[in-house]
Amino acid sequence: MILTLQTPRPLSRLPRFLPFSTNASITLNQSQPATCTSPPPPHSQILSTRHSLLSRQFSAADLLRSHLNRLNLTEPHLRSFLHLPDPSDLLAQADSLDRRIAAGEDVGPLAGVLVAVKDNICTADMPSTGGSRILEGYRPPFDATAVKRAKELGAIVVGKTNLDEFGMGSTTEGSAFQVTANPWDLSRVPGGSSGGSAAAVSARQCVVSLGSDTGGSVRQPASFCGVVGLKPTYGRVSRFGLMAYASSLDTIGCFGSSVADAGILLHAISGHDRFDATSSNQIPKFISQDVPNFLSHFVSASSFESKPLKGLRVGLIRETIGDGVDAGVISAIHSAASHFEELGCSVNEVSLPSFSLGLPAYYILASSESSSNLSRYDGIRYGNQVYADELDSLYGSSRANGFGSEVKMRILMGTYALSAGYYDAYYKRAQQVRTIIRNSFTEALNQNDILISPAAPSPAYKIGEKKNDPLAMYAGDIMTVNVNLAGLPALVLPCGFVEGGTAGLPIGLQMIGAAFGEEELLRVGHIFEQTLENCRFVPPIIAEDIAS
Amino acid sequence: MGGVGAMVKGASYSYAVFCGSFLRSPRLSFSIHNKKEKLLKFRSFSSKSTCPSLQPPDVSRLAKTAQISLTPDEIEEFAPKIQQVIDWFGQLHDVDLQSVEPSIRAETENNLRDNVPETFDHRDAMIGAVPSYEEPYIKVPRVLSMD
Repeated sequence: MILTLQTPRPLSRLPRFLPFSTNASITLNQSQPATCTSPPPPHSQILSTRHSLLSRQFSAADLLRSHLNRLNLTEPHLRSFLHLPDPSDLLAQADSLDRRIAAGEDVGPLAGVLVAVKDNICTADMPSTGGSRILEGYRPPFDATAVKRAKELGAIVVGKTNLDEFGMGSTTEGSAFQVTANPWDLSRVPGGSSGGSAAAVSARQCVVSLGSDTGGSVRQPASFCGVVGLKPTYGRVSRFGLMAYASSLDTIGCFGSSVADAGILLHAISGHDRFDATSSNQIPKFISQDVPNFLSHFVSASSFESKPLKGLRVGLIRETIGDGVDAGVISAIHSAASHFEELGCSVNEVSLPSFSLGLPAYYILASSESSSNLSRYDGIRYGNQVYADELDSLYGSSRANGFGSEVKMRILMGTYALSAGYYDAYYKRAQQVRTIIRNSFTEALNQNDILISPAAPSPAYKIGEKKNDPLAMYAGDIMTVNVNLAGLPALVLPCGFVEGGTAGLPIGLQMIGAAFGEEELLRVGHIFEQTLENCRFVPPIIAEDIAS
Repeated sequence: MGGVGAMVKGASYSYAVFCGSFLRSPRLSFSIHNKKEKLLKFRSFSSKSTCPSLQPPDVSRLAKTAQISLTPDEIEEFAPKIQQVIDWFGQLHDVDLQSVEPSIRAETENNLRDNVPETFDHRDAMIGAVPSYEEPYIKVPRVLSMD
């Protein structure tokens, strides 16, 4: 039997700070979370990369080396990556870009931008394991559409990041290979399932990253790691090349250290794809036409009016700030609500009465669909095979050997829920609950422009805390799953801290928009972020290393 | 909207009557969190089956259906956890869902491609991933056994 959950590494002997950050630049007060002395708001790394490259301030090779240097120093402690290519390959791409810039050629909007890709998203030139032993060593013969589009626009894929196996989990401890640490506190999880992608951006090992969000797997790690996470509307981004977990819920999402960066990456990968029948034909691939208009949302705060969000109706979901939510999280969300009011919004509480049904409905749908989707891993056409004399035994042994415990359990639960005669009792009822939840969101979004809630009921858990208790782990998804059931877009951005770690633990605010309303979410999110005072979300592990 | 709210509250009350120990609000599953007391309260009523006509999960049989060869240790380890989650799923049985249409997924158009075959350009890479290949066959062990 494969031990798929890594035992937590003994962390007591790790240095508290890395050599290049001997003093936290922030003074710590033991009794309250870190406060900052008016640092500037985050700016778009993508836009400043472009500016630096085109004005020849830096070369793409310089930027690459600086990130790789930081990556090499932090990676032994974080373990965000499952695969890192040969640095000389990356350098060759950067050099080629530098030559084209020098020759005055046009380069794409993501030129020189380092992108990390979650390992359940296929990349032809790097292994793609889905975090599973059953695909250890597997090299897909194609790039996922999202990866292909990012590369076409000049992005450099810096590596494949760690995840819970096949996206099933909320801590990244479910990876068959390693446990990723949270850059804010190495004894805590980065969240999941896109924990590696979140940690990599948080620790500035790369500029932006791709993850996947089926029940919150981009938004919750964004909250835990203090970065921006963006889940698009279902159908906005092609799922071609994303290893399917729950086909009616899966989306590819983006991480960035600023709202602008997450938005620019999303913009780059969005649009109809003929290889994904569920990708929307109605939203144009607006990449070349509307870029100036799109980027105009990300202007500097100095050009904001005094109440830049005047008239915006914000609905705070009542069910997300009550029982079962950490007091520190509730306090951070209330502060965020006050901030919205300062910006000119009207903030009201809104109730979604069917809210709590979403969690069991989600897990019924997700396990059922995953039991079907994971039947393709049979050891015959790809992946690792355990040979047997009979076909059935070959299937059984290959799958038993290749899948971890959580994946096995979800497949079994899904198999049960879809058993003959049980469809009406479970799957169909969950789909009916899905209708109720969709309708309740539609109603709430008729009366409000955006809805807000925490992204998770607590800050990051300690490694090992949720290990043997599936229901306790599932409970943490309560804030996020309903958004997937309804197929809506949501943006998570860091809005405050609670006590923990050496400089506090970040808390994310979730903003939910109407279907295909990402542009509005990004506009509002950018304004919120740029005007949020006294908060800078740079984890202490790299604080000294980052120039402001 | 009031109709939905009233419907769910009614369902929760009948669930409470059925199970005995319960929180009145429909936020029951939402109040699961780290705190042990609330978790135990949740678990104590979740162990009662709410739908007597459904058989409890038989992990060995499910594993055969799902083609995963579990060890006896795994079966023993998984069975209570799976039982617990299936019981938790059971709370949907008490929600009044009459006349609610099931949603397959979020609203998207159904974009079919043209029924025109295309050649895949990277056949070699695809074949290269096959564990057991003998040109031009993907090799598998025998499908049928004598017993």
